Amino acid sequence: MKKINILLALCLSLCLSFSWAQTPKGSVLIKNGTVLTVTNGTYENTDVLIQDGVIKKIGKDLNAPSGVTTVDATGKYVMPGIIDAHSHVALDVVNEATAPIVAEVRMKDVVNPYEIGIYRALAGGVTISHAMHGSANVVGGQNATLKHRWGSSNPEDIIMQDAPRTIKFALGENPTRVHGRGNGIQPRSRMGVEAILRNGFNEALQYKKAWEDFNKAKSQKGSTAVAPEYNERLQTLVDILDGKIIIHCHSYRADEIYMLINVARDFGIDKLVFQHTNEGFKVAPEIAEYTMGASVFADWWAYKFEVYYSTAFNAAILHRNGAITSINSDSAELIRHLYHEAAKTQRYGNLSDDEALSMITINPARQLGIDDKVGSLEEGKHGDVAIFEGHPLSSYAIPQMTFVDGIKYFDINEDQDDQRQQVSPTETVEPILLTEHNHRCMQDTEHLFETASALFQMNQ
Amino acid sequence: MKKPLWKTGLLGLFAWGLFGSGTLFAQSDPTGQKPITQTYAFTNATVHASPGSEGQKATIVVKDGVIISVGSGVTIPAAAKVIAGDSLYIYPGFIDAASQAGITKPEDPERPSDFVSSNPPDEIAGITPWRSATDQFDISSSQVDDLRKAGFTMAHVLPDGGMIAGKGAIMVLGTKGSTNLIKANTALAASLNGSRGMYPGTTVGVMAKFRDVYKNTNLTQDRIATFTSNSGVTRPEINQTYSAMTEVVNGQIPVFFEVENDLEVRRAISLQKELGFKLVVYGLEQYDEVIDLLKSSGVGVILKLETPDDKAIKSQKDDVDEAVQAQYDRVKESYDRTIAQAGKLAEAGVAFAFSTIDAKPSDAMKSLRAMIEAGLTESAAMAALTTNAASMIGMNRIAGTVEQGKIANLVITTGPIFSEDSQIKHVVADGSIFDYEIKTKKKNGNGEATVEVAGTWDYTSETPAGSSGGKLTIEKDGDDYSGTITYDDPSGNGTATSPISDVSISGSQLSFSFEVSAGGMAISVSVSGEISGNSMDGSMNIAQFGSFPISATRNPNFISNN
Repeated sequence: MKKINILLALCLSLCLSFSWAQTPKGSVLIKNGTVLTVTNGTYENTDVLIQDGVIKKIGKDLNAPSGVTTVDATGKYVMPGIIDAHSHVALDVVNEATAPIVAEVRMKDVVNPYEIGIYRALAGGVTISHAMHGSANVVGGQNATLKHRWGSSNPEDIIMQDAPRTIKFALGENPTRVHGRGNGIQPRSRMGVEAILRNGFNEALQYKKAWEDFNKAKSQKGSTAVAPEYNERLQTLVDILDGKIIIHCHSYRADEIYMLINVARDFGIDKLVFQHTNEGFKVAPEIAEYTMGASVFADWWAYKFEVYYSTAFNAAILHRNGAITSINSDSAELIRHLYHEAAKTQRYGNLSDDEALSMITINPARQLGIDDKVGSLEEGKHGDVAIFEGHPLSSYAIPQMTFVDGIKYFDINEDQDDQRQQVSPTETVEPILLTEHNHRCMQDTEHLFETASALFQMNQ
Repeated sequence: MKKPLWKTGLLGLFAWGLFGSGTLFAQSDPTGQKPITQTYAFTNATVHASPGSEGQKATIVVKDGVIISVGSGVTIPAAAKVIAGDSLYIYPGFIDAASQAGITKPEDPERPSDFVSSNPPDEIAGITPWRSATDQFDISSSQVDDLRKAGFTMAHVLPDGGMIAGKGAIMVLGTKGSTNLIKANTALAASLNGSRGMYPGTTVGVMAKFRDVYKNTNLTQDRIATFTSNSGVTRPEINQTYSAMTEVVNGQIPVFFEVENDLEVRRAISLQKELGFKLVVYGLEQYDEVIDLLKSSGVGVILKLETPDDKAIKSQKDDVDEAVQAQYDRVKESYDRTIAQAGKLAEAGVAFAFSTIDAKPSDAMKSLRAMIEAGLTESAAMAALTTNAASMIGMNRIAGTVEQGKIANLVITTGPIFSEDSQIKHVVADGSIFDYEIKTKKKNGNGEATVEVAGTWDYTSETPAGSSGGKLTIEKDGDDYSGTITYDDPSGNGTATSPISDVSISGSQLSFSFEVSAGGMAISVSVSGEISGNSMDGSMNIAQFGSFPISATRNPNFISNN
C-alpha cells in the first residue's frame, strides 16, 4: 500500500512538473532599483535576481549568472506583479445566464489568449487576473486564474494551472432581475437568493450521500447497485462544501453579505471572498472573522439602486477591521491603472504604502489562494514583477516593464502601435466595442430580457 | 432495453425508404423522364483516375451506377450511349465530407405550457441525437443541384439543429427518383452553439452539457447492463437522448464537431481528450495556430471550402500615412496567411477533406485555385475532394477514384480541372449523367451586339419561403450599369431597396448582385438570367441557401424621349 502511495506521489509530482514545464520561464537580473517587497519592507539600491521563472535572490550587488540579462532599474521602483481579483478579460463568454445555478460551467473552457486586454493589463503592471463568470446567476460558473503570458495562442498557457479552483456567486439585483423578473422563476427577491443557495447545498449533500452509498454498495461482492445520475452542477457544490473551491461572491448590501456569511457558516464553508461589497464597511468585523475578506472598487458606485450607499473609505475600513481587502477592476479600463485605484486608499483612509500596495498584490493573492507563489517580492516566489518610473502610488507613476515568470511581456520602450495578435483578413478596421468601460458582469444576458417581454405578452 | 426506440427508428427509415422507392420510374414511364439507357461510354478522354496521377487517354464505361471498365482497349456495350471524350478530362466525382445541401431544419416543437428556460426539454434545447439527416434531406433541393454542378457527386449530409443535431447520412447526388441513400447513421453532428434564451445558452454551457450527456449515457448503459442480468434492480430510466448517444460513447460512430477557428478546435479536442470519443472537426476557417495539434491529435479534419473575400484589401487606398499603411499590411498579411493554411496543413501531412456548409458551391473552384496559388498542391487539393473525404466517411471501397468496380461518380471538364478556363461539362453521379452549359469566352472588341438591359423591370422569384417580387431598375452609366432592386424587407416591414453591383452583360446574359441586410447580417444575392426582348428568366443565388428561379418583365417606357 505504501509503495503504491509513493508511486502515486511520484507520478503526481512528475505530472505536475511536466505541466509546469510547459509554460515559458525566464531569467533576469533587475539591478539597483527601489524594491517594494510589500511583505518585507522597501529596499533601496537593491537587485532582484530571477532564475528560471523564480525569484532566486533579493539583495545588493548581485551578479548576473552567465546568460542572464540585466535590466538597469536605477531610479525606478520594482514591485510585485499586480493581481486583479475581479476581471473578465480574455473570456469569449462571460455569462451562462440561463439557470439560477450553473456551477458546472468552466470559464477555462472559453479563455481567449488573443484578447488585447491582456496586453493592456500588462501595460498597467498587472501579471495575474481572475477571469470570472458573470453575475447573472446565484451560483455562476467556475472562474479561471490567468497569468498574462501574452503572445501564446494556447489558452492552457495563460491559465495559472496551479491556482486553486474558484467559483462565482452573485446576490441581489442581478440574479433576481435575470431569473425572477426576466424569467418568472426563483429568485425573485433576496429571500429567493438565499433559498436557492440553501436548497442547492442541501441537494448537494443528498447527491454526495447517494454516490457515497453507491460506491460503498458497489464494493460489496455480487453487488447489483446502480449508479445515481451524474450531475456536475451538484458535484461542484459538493466540492465547495468539501473546501476544494473558493467562493467569490458578487454582493453589495450589508444584509445580503451577512446572509451569505450565515449560509456559509451553517454549511461549514469558510473559503469565501466577497466581491464589490460596497456596504462591506457596515459588516467589516463579520467579514474579517468568518471569510477570506472582500475585493472592492476604490470609488465606483451608483450605477444601480443597490450600489448607492457607498463610500471611498470602504477599503480602509475593511482593512482596519482586519478583513483581507483587495481592490479590483472588473473593467478593461480600470485594470490598466490599478495602482491609482490602490493609491486612493491613502487619500481616503491614510493607509501606508505597504498597506495600499497590498490591496493589489498580496491580498488578492491570498483571496485567490496563490499567496504562497505570488503577490510579493520574496525569494522562492514566481518572478512576476512590475517596474515603475515614479512610485506606483504616485499620480505620476508610469509602468515601464512587466515580467511574468521572469519573462518580459511589456516594455514601454518596445511598445508598438499595433499590438494585436490576430488581425481579420477581411476587415481593415475591426469593429470596436464602445461599451468596454462598462461592467461585463451582465454580458450575454440581454436576450433573456427579450424572452421576458415575450412571456408577458403570451400571458396576457 | 433500447430496442423499442431502435425499432421505431428502423421502422421509420424503412417506411421512408419504401415511399421513396415508390417514386422510382416504372417500366412504362408516362413522364418520359426515364433515361433511355443506364450505360454510358466516355471514349478517349484524358482520365485522372486518382489524385496526383498523370492523365491518361482512356475510355470509361459505366453501367447501372458502377464503373465497369476503364482503359484503352475496352469493349463498348451495344446498349451504351457514347459520349466522345477526346477533348475532355475526367476526374473522380467530388465528395463533400460535411454538407447541409438539401437539408431543411425541422420545425422546433412547441414549448410545453410548463416550459422553464433554465431546464428545457432536450428536443427544444437543441439536444436531438436521435434525429437523422435522412429525414431532413431532399434530393430535389436547388442546393443539391448547385453542389452537383460544382462537381460533387456524394455528400455526407449532417442534420441541422443545435448543439447535438443528430446523425449524418451519406447520399449520392443522383436523380430525383431515388432516396440516394448510401448509409445512414454515420456520425453524430455536434457544435458549440447554445440555444437562444435557454440552457445551455453559450459555449461554456454547451461544453458542460455535452459532458453531462456523455457521462450519463455511460452510466445509463451500466444501469441497463445491471438491470438486464439481475433481478431486484430498479428499472433504469431510458430516454431518447441517452439511447441515441450509445453508439457515440461505444466508439461506433465519430462525433463531427463544427468548429470555426483554432480556439474552437482546441475546445473540441479538449472534450474529446476528457471523454474519449472519436472526433472529426469540420468547417475550419482559421487554423494556422493549431496545425501541429491537428497533426498530433490525429482527429479528422474537414476545412470549409471557402477563402476569405478580398474586399478589404481591394478597397485599400494608395496615398495613406504610415500608420494606416501598417494596418493595411497586417490585413494583407492576415489574408495571405489565411489562404496559405490549407497548403501548410497538407504539407504537415494531415489528410483533410472539405465541407461546403455555409460556403457557396459555385465559388468552390475559385477558392481552390486561391489555395493552390498559395501553396496547396493540386494533388493534395484533389485528394481533399476525393480520396481523403472517402476515407474519412468510410467510403473508400466504393468512391474516391476512377476505377473499375467503383460507383459511377465522375467530373468531366473541358480542361485540366484547376486551370482558370476549365469548365465542368458533365457530372456523372450514381451512373446518371448531368449536362452543363459551357460558356464561350466573351469576345473582345465590338463583336456581338449585347442586349439592352436598361429600364424598370418587375420581377418575381420563387423561394422556399414563398413567392416574392419587386422592382429592378437598371440605368446605363457610360459603359457601366448601375441600379437598384426592391424586395420584401426580411424584418417583415414593407419593402427594402438595395443598390445593385457587378452588373455585367455577356451576349444575352445579364448578371448582377446585391446585398440584403437581415438581422444585422449582410446576405449577398447574385442573379443571372437570359434576356429575350422584355423578359428575363434566370436564377437567383442566395449565399448559403441555394439557387431559386427568378423571372422579370420590363415595363414599357411611357415617357417620351422627346
